[in-house]
Amino acid sequence: MQINFGGREVALKLVYYGPALSGKTTNLRSLHELTVDGARGRLMTLETKDDRTLFFDMLPLAFRAESDKGGHVGMTLRIKIFTVPGQVTHASTRRLVLQGADAVAFIADSQIAETEHNAASFLDLRQNLKELGIVPKDMPVVIQFNKRDLGSIRSDHDIETLARRGKEPVFAAVAVNGQGVLETFFALLDVAWRKLDGQHRLAEMLGIESNELLPMAAKQLGLSVAIPKLLASSVAGSLERYLQGVQ
Amino acid sequence: MMGQRPVARESVVFDSIVPIEELVERDGLRELCQSFHALFGIGVRLYSVDGTLLAAAATDQELCSEVGASTVGRHACTATIAGVVSHDPGAAREVVVPCFTGASYYVAAIDYDGRRVGRLIVGPYVPVQTAGPPSTLNEAVPGLDPEKARLLLEKMPRAKPETIRRIGTHLKSALDLILFSGHKAHMTSKMHLASVRESYRELADKNERLQEAFDRLKELDRLKSQFLATVSHELRTPLTSIIGYSEMLVQGLAGEMRPDQLEFVRTIHDKGEQLVKLIMGLLDLGKLESGTMRVILRPTRLEPVLGEVVSTMAPLARKKGVRLDLSLSQTTALPEVQGDSERLRQVFINLVENAIKFTPAGGEVTLRAAVAPTDGEQDTDSQEDGLSVMAPTLWPVEVRVADTGIGIPVTERERVFDAFYQVDSSSTREHGGTGLGLAIVKRLVDAHAGTVFIEDGRPRGTVFVVALPQAGSASHG
Repeated sequence: MQINFGGREVALKLVYYGPALSGKTTNLRSLHELTVDGARGRLMTLETKDDRTLFFDMLPLAFRAESDKGGHVGMTLRIKIFTVPGQVTHASTRRLVLQGADAVAFIADSQIAETEHNAASFLDLRQNLKELGIVPKDMPVVIQFNKRDLGSIRSDHDIETLARRGKEPVFAAVAVNGQGVLETFFALLDVAWRKLDGQHRLAEMLGIESNELLPMAAKQLGLSVAIPKLLASSVAGSLERYLQGVQ
Repeated sequence: MMGQRPVARESVVFDSIVPIEELVERDGLRELCQSFHALFGIGVRLYSVDGTLLAAAATDQELCSEVGASTVGRHACTATIAGVVSHDPGAAREVVVPCFTGASYYVAAIDYDGRRVGRLIVGPYVPVQTAGPPSTLNEAVPGLDPEKARLLLEKMPRAKPETIRRIGTHLKSALDLILFSGHKAHMTSKMHLASVRESYRELADKNERLQEAFDRLKELDRLKSQFLATVSHELRTPLTSIIGYSEMLVQGLAGEMRPDQLEFVRTIHDKGEQLVKLIMGLLDLGKLESGTMRVILRPTRLEPVLGEVVSTMAPLARKKGVRLDLSLSQTTALPEVQGDSERLRQVFINLVENAIKFTPAGGEVTLRAAVAPTDGEQDTDSQEDGLSVMAPTLWPVEVRVADTGIGIPVTERERVFDAFYQVDSSSTREHGGTGLGLAIVKRLVDAHAGTVFIEDGRPRGTVFVVALPQAGSASHG
């Protein structure tokens, strides 16, 4: 997080992590398509000719947090969403992109054959966090099981069992047609916000309550979705349990 | 991980504010302004957020020149321009600022990535509905002829407010694309540099750890050599007594012995001698490895060295029933080599002893020396690449020790020079030996800047070739 008091700006960094070809860039593209111009900027992709992410993708969002309450002049909440390159060889780039992240969405591939790659990438995430001097359990992480529309995937029952046993909130998605993309994003924003609010009293500074942030963001992105309904779609109530745990 | 270099803490790509001046190419911006100006005939100016003019394309308007001709007019004009340039369009992002002449300026904010980065100004232009010069012109410049002012105002470009807004919107979207491309290039290059730096850091870190491991191994190797040298030295002292006393027993100094007793004591003596040789070999090897053996290189003639080797080894050859020959040219003397005669003698004694050992009775061992390349012995396979330019001015002297023995398989030829290596472990029992002879030969020849190898293409037996640089030749390759 960066706070610019002079410019009355707060900037958050959200990072989409995961194994190669799990759909990190697809999530960003869908998010870009589902929202309207204005609050969200142009999607920046730095990729090779065969559509593999080279350095990162970046989607900037900027929200005006106007407050009716006295004493607050309103601030801008800037959110930068990054994806890391998934290919194993880009290890140092992944670490550089991860630097300064406020929360991580881990995009896992649901295909059974990819299970090992998911695990290896999650270990890589933890290792990189450690090397950046961050205790992995201090980093809010939301997990998305992507590609739920394919064959030979881990069953819903499997995912539910895993979500119940694991610590992180879990969402199911088909990012390529936008399914689960907003759910994952708003849950990620929620966990990041709560974490930072606890540390830096963001709500007080921006003059906006935690429960107002998500609807405000949705409105400025041109979305007519019910936030509570989106968040309630986490697998086996894993988001609610997570939020109870951090409070 | 201890000793690791710390990862750079600054966030390479996040939300740094990059000034517009760093993202765009000024000449390109000017061209963009010029093309707009050429298209609509209205002036275009681009300013950064702090008011620096980035690019402009405009033609002087006659009315403005006329106004500027008088002092009051010039002052009024400057004040208007200053107002236009510093006017922030605010949250509406665009504003029209009127001029006292009746013309207008369109000011639009250039926002990028949710931040105000600059302003663009289109004008002066005259809104289409303007009938004639307003009263403000006469108030600001009282001396100006109203009729002339009307004519000059008519010469100014006219435009509808919607047209101006459309021009502004189009210009802004063109600029947005330019800024986005610039920003992307900026972030890519920054990321590229950071990735290279990070990869370098990782490599440097690994190199450091490899170097540490290498240093540790070198130290272990040094300790091994030291241990070997110390143990060998300590073994030699009691062994000298064993040999000395067994010799005295054989000589009958302690009284006459029965024949079987004599044979036992002789065996003790022989084995003792064998052990001394092994220990001396180990000591030599240790000295060669640690670099403490003194090899004094000076111009040396090989003939006497080789002659001495043959006379030393002749009794052994005779005993084994092997013919030992030294073949030297009778007419021309060999050139001197750069060498230490004592160490060279050791080299050839080892090689000849080895050759005799592995040659059955009735066979022969030959020593030949000549300056390389030996004419007529080169086959096409052994021709070297680029020899014509790579050849030294002085060819080395090659000494060949050839035997008619069991030979060495091609695959083993590199390894025979390793310490304690024997082609076939059973050969140690059959032929004796310590497995150190060739290792010592190799290190001694290396110390002479020479080479030792086994010659290819021999149907039977083995030919060891020792190539020594001639005295006066520069060290090569």
